[in-house]
Amino acid sequence: MFNKVENNNLVGTYDNEDVFVDAIRSIKQNGIAIKNVFTPYPIHEVFHELEISTRFSYLAFIYGVSGTVGTFGFLYWTSVINFPIRIGGKPHLSLSFIVIMFVMTILVGIILSVVSFFVRQQLFPGKEPVLAHSGNTDDKFSLVIEVKDSASIDEVNEITSKLRKSGAIEVVAKKNIGKN
Amino acid sequence: MKSEMKNDIEVSDQLVNCDNMKRLSLVLSVIGVIATVLGFKENAQRAWGNILVCNYYFLSLAIGASFFAAIQNITQSGWSAMFKRVPEAITAYLPYGSVLVLLMGAFGVHSLYHWSHEAAVQSDILLQHKAPYLNVTFFLIRLVVSLGLWFFLTSLLRKFSLREDVEGGLKNFIKGEFYSKVLIFILALTFSLFTFDLIMSIDSHWFSTIFAIKNFVSAFLHGSALILLMIFALNKRGYFPVLNAAHRHDLSKYLFMLAMIWGYMWFSQFFLMWYSNIPEETVYYAQRLRGEWKTIFFADLFLNWTFPFLFLLHNRVARNTNALIFTSALLLFGFWLDIYLQVFPGLTGNCIIGFVEVGIFSGFLGIFIFSVASALGKTSIIPKNHPYLGESMAHEVH
Repeated sequence: MFNKVENNNLVGTYDNEDVFVDAIRSIKQNGIAIKNVFTPYPIHEVFHELEISTRFSYLAFIYGVSGTVGTFGFLYWTSVINFPIRIGGKPHLSLSFIVIMFVMTILVGIILSVVSFFVRQQLFPGKEPVLAHSGNTDDKFSLVIEVKDSASIDEVNEITSKLRKSGAIEVVAKKNIGKN
Repeated sequence: MKSEMKNDIEVSDQLVNCDNMKRLSLVLSVIGVIATVLGFKENAQRAWGNILVCNYYFLSLAIGASFFAAIQNITQSGWSAMFKRVPEAITAYLPYGSVLVLLMGAFGVHSLYHWSHEAAVQSDILLQHKAPYLNVTFFLIRLVVSLGLWFFLTSLLRKFSLREDVEGGLKNFIKGEFYSKVLIFILALTFSLFTFDLIMSIDSHWFSTIFAIKNFVSAFLHGSALILLMIFALNKRGYFPVLNAAHRHDLSKYLFMLAMIWGYMWFSQFFLMWYSNIPEETVYYAQRLRGEWKTIFFADLFLNWTFPFLFLLHNRVARNTNALIFTSALLLFGFWLDIYLQVFPGLTGNCIIGFVEVGIFSGFLGIFIFSVASALGKTSIIPKNHPYLGESMAHEVH
């Protein structure tokens, strides 16, 4: 969902989910744009507050439908066109397709969804994690605020103090979040 | 925000306009009586069949609603706490429904069930084999025991819930959870036997081992549809002021999920019989795929599975009040067709939907509305001291 954050950044880290969600609300109210968020698990309020939406469900639906149609096409080709055998008096094109289509819809949908997710996230086994704070995979919640090159020291200090005020246990300036 | 919401909700939300509901139910009941009289004059079997369909229809809804409430208690669901009066009110139909079912069992058994005739059993090896279970005495005993247990347990749960409003604390909540567990175990056995006795035994030579679960899922699905319909009807009149998109989405998930399970069970029963192709089994479907029954057969599948599944697939639709009201209403109509299709082909064999069908249904609907509305009007619609009430009202995301 997010690309690497390459610029100068301020990272505020929190150790409580509720404090973190409230902090996002208060920082948004102060008119400071939040660039990125790192949490150990998905938090629905965060999606809601940052107005993050995903088109992934449409993709999954298309994969599911293509699984159904593709499986039907294959079954039709094998048991009606290419190699029609009558079994137990049943017609060639029969209800017994449905069970296989049902299972294959799930299989195709799941596998293609996982592949798409990995491609979109540029994720692969052995990839170095992109984290704002080393505790983001454990129990720490971080938000990243981009600092423009033109920003003065006062402006940076103001953002820092607002992060502190909202309950951050740690505020750190980081240049490149990709390299932790 | 959250604290403001909690303060806004006061005891004020008592159901008003109960008199209108009572007048409506009286009118519906009068139509029902006229239709019943006409029905018995014309064709007693058809009238009994309709009474069976309606009895089973409304008792299923009540049982589905009681199961819904029990599941919320057992899982200690937070989001649904403020809606719990609605399924409780629906279960208030149980005593009325029990009386109607027992009257039907006492007087209509010979018109409805082939196995209840001594002469038929004497000349039929299969019915002789089933006779230790399928005989009138044991049938009535099973009915009395099942209905008694349901009435006892649901009124016990209702009592704990009402006492919670007065006393507060966790005592009644914990008791409610325990007796909900008892209820679902009891339902698993008694409701299975209830579906076997009332519906499956009409086709007394036919049997299906998945029949009970299919009809139980049906009760749960359509009970949930009725709960949704009532919640939204109340909401449109100004009750449940804090009902939001997250509540709507969680409620609609019940329809979506259960419609899928319903389709799964429907197909499991149909597919295995189609595949194994044993005449004793396929005769059931062969009859229902012929003539006018064919329309009802596919309408049943479409209304109860295809439509809710495809329609509620999109999240924006699944959160829309009017879309959910429409789906629930269609499901409740589909449920009637579902039972009609299970009862009538084996009974009269004629597919005629006329004044008798509509009239007897509206008679039962009148009694149902009367019992549910008076139970709903007795207390405030939102419970008071439920431990998860705050969570339910502040429910924002899921």
